[in-house]
Amino acid sequence: MIPSDHFTRFYNEVFKFLEAQGEADLDGYFLEISKNQEKHILELIRESGFAGMYKYWSVIRDEENCELDLGYDDDKFELRMHLCPSLTKAKDNDAKTWGRYCDHCAGWIGPIMDKTGYHLVYDVIDRDKPQCVMRIFKDGDKAREAEKDVALLMGWPGRKPT
Amino acid sequence: MSEPEAPMRYQEDGNVHLDFHGAVNTTIAFIVARYGIDALHQIFRRVGTDVYQDLRAHLLAGDSHEIARHWQHFFVREGADFDIAVTDEEIVLTVRRCTAWHHVNKIHGAVSAQFCDQTVVVNSAMAEGTPFSIETSITGPGACRQVIRRRA
Repeated sequence: MIPSDHFTRFYNEVFKFLEAQGEADLDGYFLEISKNQEKHILELIRESGFAGMYKYWSVIRDEENCELDLGYDDDKFELRMHLCPSLTKAKDNDAKTWGRYCDHCAGWIGPIMDKTGYHLVYDVIDRDKPQCVMRIFKDGDKAREAEKDVALLMGWPGRKPT
Repeated sequence: MSEPEAPMRYQEDGNVHLDFHGAVNTTIAFIVARYGIDALHQIFRRVGTDVYQDLRAHLLAGDSHEIARHWQHFFVREGADFDIAVTDEEIVLTVRRCTAWHHVNKIHGAVSAQFCDQTVVVNSAMAEGTPFSIETSITGPGACRQVIRRRA
């Protein structure tokens, strides 16, 4: 058994393998993980919107030992990651860290937001630092406006940043 | 008085997120369907040789006990039903209920036929070229026996 504590280091090896196959292979994998994650989050979003997202990411915060703040108002849901354990472990690793490790988050979350009619704005800030800001909007125009203020905007399968 | 043991290279604490095992199962199915079992094993081999470089270094240096420490720490964290027996000849890990396998079975309703390859191949890759072998036998659904022995 690869311990769940070491999943991110396994994930890191999968990304390196897939990148060597091609960009479409990575996108295919992100979509597969996104489909897997639907089991955990889709119903929550469809039934409770931002409150459902809050519930899902509260569990993630606790179980994955994240240092993050969560909140939402009428317009948007916001997750502000101060110390991401996933990237931290991928970097605290005797194997080489995949340089685009952070891409996987928007890679699986984006397709779920597309499917549920929300608009994701994912600012990784710096792929080498375990911090990011994720905002999810009800209104597409407000999301496009928010994209103007990000440091490093992430895309996902079907929506690459311009 | 004995010296306190140095911390292991990876020694996580805090909470555990068992749903990661579900993502492992999904990944295994995806890789096998698209690239075949050899590709899956190539990835697991990398985990054994590169991610677990430190465990492998202990084996190369003639120390098989670091892996027993690793097993003890992480199987306790996962809440598995297991025991580890250490003799002069071998170290035997008996897993009666693997948390990973049973969690996947619970959330997905089925477990990939290659799910336990993660254990078999990572063990084999860690031990390759060292004075030890690690043999893994799957003894039932979510159960296995892993044995470290000095090679003849």
